[in-house]
Amino acid sequence: MATLIINELFDDSGHEDPGHPERPERVTAALDGVRDLHLGDDLVIVPARAATRVELVRAHDGSYLDELGAFCYGGGGDIDPDTYATYDSWLIAKHAAGAGLAVIEELQRRKHGVGFVAARPPGHHALKDRAMGFCLLNNVAVAAATLVGQGQRVLIVDWDVHHGNGTQAIFWDNPDVLYVSTHQWPLFPGSGTASEVGGWHAIGQTVNIPLPPGATGDVVRRGIEQIAAPVIEEFAPTWVLVSAGFDAHRADPMANLDLTSGDFAQLAKTVVGFAPKPGRLALFLEGGYDLEALRASVRSALSAVLEGSAQDERPSSGGPGAEQMQKAFDERTAALSMMHDASEGEVEP
Amino acid sequence: MTTLHTIAVGYDGSPDAEVAVRWAMVTAAATGSRVAVVHAAGLLEHLSTRFSRDETPPAVLELADECGLDIARLSWYVNDGDACSVLLRAGEAPVEADLIVVGSRGQGQHPGLLLGSTSLELVQHSNVPVVVVPLPAPSA
Repeated sequence: MATLIINELFDDSGHEDPGHPERPERVTAALDGVRDLHLGDDLVIVPARAATRVELVRAHDGSYLDELGAFCYGGGGDIDPDTYATYDSWLIAKHAAGAGLAVIEELQRRKHGVGFVAARPPGHHALKDRAMGFCLLNNVAVAAATLVGQGQRVLIVDWDVHHGNGTQAIFWDNPDVLYVSTHQWPLFPGSGTASEVGGWHAIGQTVNIPLPPGATGDVVRRGIEQIAAPVIEEFAPTWVLVSAGFDAHRADPMANLDLTSGDFAQLAKTVVGFAPKPGRLALFLEGGYDLEALRASVRSALSAVLEGSAQDERPSSGGPGAEQMQKAFDERTAALSMMHDASEGEVEP
Repeated sequence: MTTLHTIAVGYDGSPDAEVAVRWAMVTAAATGSRVAVVHAAGLLEHLSTRFSRDETPPAVLELADECGLDIARLSWYVNDGDACSVLLRAGEAPVEADLIVVGSRGQGQHPGLLLGSTSLELVQHSNVPVVVVPLPAPSA
């Protein structure tokens, strides 16, 4: 059994809006999933720390950080119809971003193990200059940008049911980051079509695999194997970070995919295969709003990456999506062809 | 001078949005153009049935009646995303708006310059003209 490295829980009870689905109990449920594995000495908890401004500006505009901090310390409120902040949110969000950095630092020190960052608010919708979709700071992007600054080539696999528009936008034109997302489409945030393939300096390094409502785990895995895996192999990542949302579970109220906790185990095994060596894989909690499904899915996914055997539900199969997968492949191919043609003409598309 | 075919206007049910929709409809009625009322469906809307994807809200139909806009020239769109992204996409098919209209502040938006300022972002990024309609000043 490999070692699991997780962050110490920072008190996030102050970031709460009564009735809002993005709530402190989510982290409790995720940590219950960890506890279910009975890891004993194979569980390492690293001390909580806040991300510094220097670390945050690798992924966010300084002016945005200033305004977000001031907004929180002014008492907070609704940022948009989905996203709230409180007086405590700034400190809590900085600790969520810092949790990812602390886990990665421990992985770098040990050179083995797998990281799991159980912190909130989630991050993958947060843009460099804007909060949205429950997200204030983009935790996985802050971690990836830090690794890129150390000369690493980072693969981000985002299996949250919603497209990670913030992460995609932040690394859109960065040749050192490969962003792969499977997500229900159409669905919030509306981005994530297969024709979005990356910017001028990173052509092909955004891989979107949109899935229709009702899609099952076999379709998701096929998309990753057929569309993303060849790109990942060519990219040859030195680190793998996962935006591990668990809201694609069939019990989750926020979307309509049909995955089970067993599917997250399968997905987790797949991403383990993308990591170049031990100690180079970390999973970041994103969405997941049905607490029982979240707990079971975390338990199954982490058991799989640690080579354990906990799996509550069988992987799902037989849902729709085969046609959309071919369409996505064709759209991506066409978009890449257009960009390469433009590239040869040295004219930015 | 380009001809105005379609005016897209953001609508979230707020008083600001209502003022913007009214402005768009009056302008459309005067210029013979169409109005596409566009609603951005956020994350939380998956949990609610506040706005139907298929049927124009009664409040919007009432506004059209008040503004003298033939409802044959009125369309209702619900698209997933944040308000800014959804309205920016209104410049593309199927809406293909020549003009985008928004209220100065939508529902639940922080009044700051950066956080949640749909109108500011639209003005910065839109490829078609944007009109930001303020709420009328309160009478003394």
